[in-house]
Amino acid sequence: MNSRGLIQCDNLRSQLGDVPAPGLYVLNVNSTHFVVAELVLLKALLGHGNPGLFVSVDRPHQYIVHLLKMHGIAHEGLRFIDTVSRFSPGEANRREGIGLIKNSSHIDELPVALRDCSSVPGGIDVSQLRFAIIDNVSILLMYNSHRAVEGFLRDFTQLLTRNAAVVLVINRERYSDLYATVLSLGAVELGLESEQEGANGAVQFTEGLNSRRGN
Amino acid sequence: MEKDKVQGVEMERIPSGIPGLDELIEGGFPFPSVILVSGPTGTGKTTFCLRFLCKGAERGERGLFFTTLSESVHWMLRFSSQLSFMHPEYIDQDIVYVDLGELIRSGDHDKILEAIERNIAEVMPQRIVIDPITVVGDMLKEDYRSFLFDLGNRLKHWNATTLVTGEVHPGELYPPEIAYTVDGIVLLVVDDEHGDRRKYLEVLKMRGTAHSSGRHSIDISRKDGLVVLKARF
Repeated sequence: MNSRGLIQCDNLRSQLGDVPAPGLYVLNVNSTHFVVAELVLLKALLGHGNPGLFVSVDRPHQYIVHLLKMHGIAHEGLRFIDTVSRFSPGEANRREGIGLIKNSSHIDELPVALRDCSSVPGGIDVSQLRFAIIDNVSILLMYNSHRAVEGFLRDFTQLLTRNAAVVLVINRERYSDLYATVLSLGAVELGLESEQEGANGAVQFTEGLNSRRGN
Repeated sequence: MEKDKVQGVEMERIPSGIPGLDELIEGGFPFPSVILVSGPTGTGKTTFCLRFLCKGAERGERGLFFTTLSESVHWMLRFSSQLSFMHPEYIDQDIVYVDLGELIRSGDHDKILEAIERNIAEVMPQRIVIDPITVVGDMLKEDYRSFLFDLGNRLKHWNATTLVTGEVHPGELYPPEIAYTVDGIVLLVVDDEHGDRRKYLEVLKMRGTAHSSGRHSIDISRKDGLVVLKARF
C-alpha cells in the first residue's frame, strides 16, 4: 500500500476510532474503485485486531482474502458470508458462512440466518463483531426491489450496530436513491481524504512500480 | 421510483478512449468485463489497448499491461511515444508494464495464471491488457483451452475491465478458442478493395449492450492512434 493509501487508512481510523464506534456509516466511492477502497477500509478496521464480518454479494470472498494476504493485512478476526461462491467453481462452497442464504436475491433472509447461526457452535456470534462491511450493497438492487434492500439494511443494522460499525460503500452519484435511504437510516458519512486533501475517491496503492518480469 | 419493483441497475461502463467507439457501445466497455480485440497484423490492436490504458490514466484509473512477447518496456515506448496520447510518465506511475514472455515459454499453465493474479492483486488496476493472448496458445498447445477457461473465470471477478488481443490467420475473424469465454468481441478487419487495403472495426459481441452492428471505417494515425470514422452520406 502506498503512502496515499496509508494516509487514507489513517483518515478512516480517525473517523471511526481504533475500536470502531458502533453505528451505521457510508463511504462514497467511485464504483471502479470499490475494491481498492474496501482494502483501505479493512486495513483501518482490522488494524487493532478487531473482529469483523465481510459480506460478499458481488464477487467471491476468496478475492478479498487474496488481496489481504498480498498486502500483508492480518485478518485472523475476519469472518465471511459469501452469497456468490455457490455459483462459482472451486472449493469455496466448503468454507464457512457460504450457503447461509440461497443467493443475493434472498438477501432479506440474511439477518434471520445470522441470528440463527449465532447460537450454533462455530457459528458467527454477532455480539462479538466490532465491524461489518458489505462489498457492494448497490448490486443488490439488481435482484431485489428498493424496498427489500431498504428492509434488509434496516434489519441488518439493527442486528449489528449495538456493538459494531456497519460500513457501506456506495457510489453516491450512480445510486443517489440508495445513498439517501442509507442516510435516512442514520448513517454517518465517512471520507477517504481529509478536507485539505480533497475527496475524489481515486485511491492508489502501489507507487514507483517498475516494469517487471511476470515471474 | 417504484420501490416495490426490482428495477435492476444500469451497467457500469468505462470509456474505451478510442474516438468514435463509445457511441457504438452505449458509452463504453462494461465494467468489469473481458473483451477480445481481434485482428490480423497491423490493424492497430496494441495501439487500441494503449489508448484504452491511457484513457484510464487520465481518469485516475490504474492500468496493467501484460506483454506475452518478451518485449521490453523501452522498446514498446520507442514506438508508442510517437502517439500524442501516450505520455511516457504514465508508465510506472499509472500503467504498470509486466513481461510474461519467459514464463509463457515455460509452458506452465498454473504458474502463468498465478503470475497474472499476483500482479493484479498487487497493482489493483481498473484496466488490464494482455497482448497478445494467442501467443500463449502456441506454447500451451492442448492445455490452452483449459487455461483460457480458468483465465476468463478469474479475470471476471477482479474489479477491472480486461482487453485481450488475438492475432488471426488470413480468413479467420477471431481466435475461436477464446471467443466463448469473453464478454465482448471487437474485430479489426482489413479488406482488399480494388487494390486498396481498407481497415474496419466491427463490434461482434458486447454482453449487456445494445451495440451497433456492421463495419465502421477506421483510420490509424501517428497522432491519434486508432479512430472510428463517422459514416458519411
